[in-house]
Amino acid sequence: MTDRLCTPDEHLWSRRRVLGRLARAGAAGIGAGGLGGLLHPAVAEEVARNDRQILFIWLDGGISQFESWDPKPASRFGGPFRSIPTSVPGIHYSELMPRTAKLAHLLTVVRNLQTQDNSHSAGVPRILRGDPANRGVTYPYFGSAVAKLLGPGDSGLPPYVWIKPGSGGFKTENAGFLGPKYGAVAFGDGKPPENFVRPEGLSAEEDAARQALLDRFNARFVKGRPGRANEAQSHVYDMARKLMARAELFDTTRLSERDLDRYGRTELGTHLLVARNMLEAGVRFVQVTSYGWDTHGDHFNGSASLIPKFDRAFASIVEDLRDRGMLDRVLVVAMSEFGRTPRINGHHGRDHYPEAWSLAMAGPGLVPGATIGATDAEGVFVDAPRSYDIGSVFHTWYHALGIDSKKVEFHNADQPLPIAHHEMEPIREALA
Amino acid sequence: MLPRLPNLVWLAALMVAGVVVATAAEPALHERVDALIEQAASGKPVAGPAEEAEFFRRVHLDFAGVIPTVEEMRAFVADPAPDKRTRMIDSLLNGPDYAKRMADWFHVHLMERRADHDLWLSWLERAFAENRPWDQMAAQIIRGDFRDEANRGATFFLSNRLEKYGQNTTDYPGLTRDVGRLFLGMDLQCAECHNHRLIDDYDQADFQGLFAAFKNLTLLPGDYPAVEEGVISEKLKYASVFTQKERLTGPRVPGRDEIAIAVFEKGQEYEVTPDKKAKQPGVPKFSALEAFATEIPHSPTFSPNFVNRLWFLMMGRGLVEPLDQFHSENPASHPEVLDLLAREFVARGHDIRWLVRELALTRVYQRSSRLPEGVESLPEEAFLVAKQRRLSAEQLLASALRATGAELDAAAREELEKRFLKAFANEPKEPEYEFAPSLKSALFVMNDPEVGRLLEAGPGAIVSRLVAEPDAARVAGDLYGAILSRPPTTEETDEVVAYLKGQSSDRTRALREIAWALLASTEFAVNH
Repeated sequence: MTDRLCTPDEHLWSRRRVLGRLARAGAAGIGAGGLGGLLHPAVAEEVARNDRQILFIWLDGGISQFESWDPKPASRFGGPFRSIPTSVPGIHYSELMPRTAKLAHLLTVVRNLQTQDNSHSAGVPRILRGDPANRGVTYPYFGSAVAKLLGPGDSGLPPYVWIKPGSGGFKTENAGFLGPKYGAVAFGDGKPPENFVRPEGLSAEEDAARQALLDRFNARFVKGRPGRANEAQSHVYDMARKLMARAELFDTTRLSERDLDRYGRTELGTHLLVARNMLEAGVRFVQVTSYGWDTHGDHFNGSASLIPKFDRAFASIVEDLRDRGMLDRVLVVAMSEFGRTPRINGHHGRDHYPEAWSLAMAGPGLVPGATIGATDAEGVFVDAPRSYDIGSVFHTWYHALGIDSKKVEFHNADQPLPIAHHEMEPIREALA
Repeated sequence: MLPRLPNLVWLAALMVAGVVVATAAEPALHERVDALIEQAASGKPVAGPAEEAEFFRRVHLDFAGVIPTVEEMRAFVADPAPDKRTRMIDSLLNGPDYAKRMADWFHVHLMERRADHDLWLSWLERAFAENRPWDQMAAQIIRGDFRDEANRGATFFLSNRLEKYGQNTTDYPGLTRDVGRLFLGMDLQCAECHNHRLIDDYDQADFQGLFAAFKNLTLLPGDYPAVEEGVISEKLKYASVFTQKERLTGPRVPGRDEIAIAVFEKGQEYEVTPDKKAKQPGVPKFSALEAFATEIPHSPTFSPNFVNRLWFLMMGRGLVEPLDQFHSENPASHPEVLDLLAREFVARGHDIRWLVRELALTRVYQRSSRLPEGVESLPEEAFLVAKQRRLSAEQLLASALRATGAELDAAAREELEKRFLKAFANEPKEPEYEFAPSLKSALFVMNDPEVGRLLEAGPGAIVSRLVAEPDAARVAGDLYGAILSRPPTTEETDEVVAYLKGQSSDRTRALREIAWALLASTEFAVNH
């Protein structure tokens, strides 16, 4: 929470525009849609047909651009690793990513990111919320935003699933002003949240029998009554049943030996495999978090261990999505809250660096094989003419997902809110 | 600067309109309310009165916080007296659970699941038990006087909001906003830094006038909720971020005159001088909060806000929606109803129980939740059919225990309460306005072992008890009566009889299936 409820650059809306909207919203009955509704029904219909999905790989703590997407071998800050050619002529990645390098022609790498925060506590939420202008409300994380904008699709599964080490559960805080129902369903250590499994002593037959009774009772109750309460109730029960019925999706003991070998028998590898299964099952947004990237000390040994694990798992899932024809609809993103400093500190570490860093993407709407922007010879600053902040990245993602981020808005009570920073533009060179 | 009365002209206009009504021969308030609502319906179909059992369950949940027992329900349904509804309302409003229920209701409403405190809850309960008028309750909450031992609990509203969360600074703007929202029905959030861009009535001065007093508070550590008020010796300087023009304000309640700051010589500012060593908090001679406590009930939206919030609690939707958007461009669905109720509430000295009773006696409150025959839908804001309302986690727990007849010891009940809160209560600061079932709550009802166990917890629990009942039709009556608080229809009785017959090899399991499905049903989950 900032010490101000809302700040100067809020509402750059013309008054007439806003009042016009309010009048329309009023005619349709304010509050009927609850908080966080979309303004334009036509747009809502358009996105309902949208089949795009997202795999969002979050490398928490900050992956080093030097040891991955933007190597500077044999330079002052370059570190000990070499660079290797990729499948795109002229583009090199770090030698720690040999498998990913072979897939460079599928990827879109942005090397000229320049963001604002160099602390985890500010950077993580700022990046994941897309740092919209402060309007006195807490913006949703990208996953919650997509859950709201694109909905769950036809899968019947929750729209925003988060696979992470540690604890799972219902991460409602991710949803910001959209409200708890757009929060993430988190699978801690790949396992489902509490109460996900039928309790001991309750057979599948008994459960099915009582659920059938429940549906019958609810159908009878709703007859002749306004249906909204029953719809809301039935919706969450249906979702719970569908998820329980798809237990194989998050049962890591069922993963094939061959896949495990390909992805690497690591936490990230296993979680990305689970993610692949969820994407295949139609989950709209799958976030996979990997911790431990904050290498302030012994950075080079750390990178030599971390980055090959990432390389293996990431390359495997990109290959799998390609082979299944899913890169036409699944937007893949791999990134952190910032990059790491050129300067190597006294503990052989690299510190937090938002000034010049990289991210990688793949999927629909992007130019495959493109490398956007560049940093200077030592990787200290972004080369002119331009750098991109996270707001531009959000616009880019929305474009790739077929959402016009200059037109589509959130609607929080009376307040129209842009879905991405209103003063920023998408990264045009990245968009097909 | 001048008080911003012009912005409240709309309210004044309503008052004038109201006077005309008041001079006519006066039927009871609830009848006048019904007349106005039905007049505004202009011929639209109106749902009939709720069935006996539906009405009985509704009032029980609202005024005792729990569903009735099956015996109570049967006695009420069988009672032929024509005035039994009114008598039942009176009996519940004067019953042993009324104060606790109102305390729960207002606790969730005012604290929005931030936290609770025994002193706060017992203060609320005592206030409702003695039917303390709302202006006094509000004054005690706003006054936050730690020396007033009897009303210390009330200070929790302020003290909890002065607590720091993580590394954040004390959220004074948030406290200011909540006072505006919850006591005046005005969300001044966007008027902190400039006049509200969308709402002409909300001036930056309104936010800053309130802020001038609340930013001056410090949380006092200790066993009871307490805040210390600092000395105010000059007006608060603020500027719009758009115009950069500096303005000054003393403490001021919206719609009222600025409070004159009494300035004392240095060293003379305190009635009780603060002494850090002796851990003695200071008490300034000029207390903005004391002035606010007197002023706030006179703010033009103070009484309408309470009326609107109580209407919301009982009808499921406010006359003004959203609840904290009182301003001239967002009129009530029925301005004359709001005005009438607010005026009468003031005339009755802010008598809460009286207002609850009048609302409970309206046809609006007592309508069926079923749409009239052949009608597909009715506009919610017309109040022509009863709205299905959310049950709180507390109501659900108490009702689940009563419905199942589960026998739990105190420790088990406490543990279960935690689980219910986790499954059904909102996150802190999320108002619980709408019925909003979640994946979490569905999974809880489906799979939490404790929920399943309720059906068979002890020999008196519903499944354990009914296994021995040979008459299947009686079983149906008991299941529906105990869980849904109504007799089953013939169709439902036949269904239960057939179901038990079909599964005669495992009667316990069949009973468990039906009882669980009734407990998990939408009908159980809402106040309809």
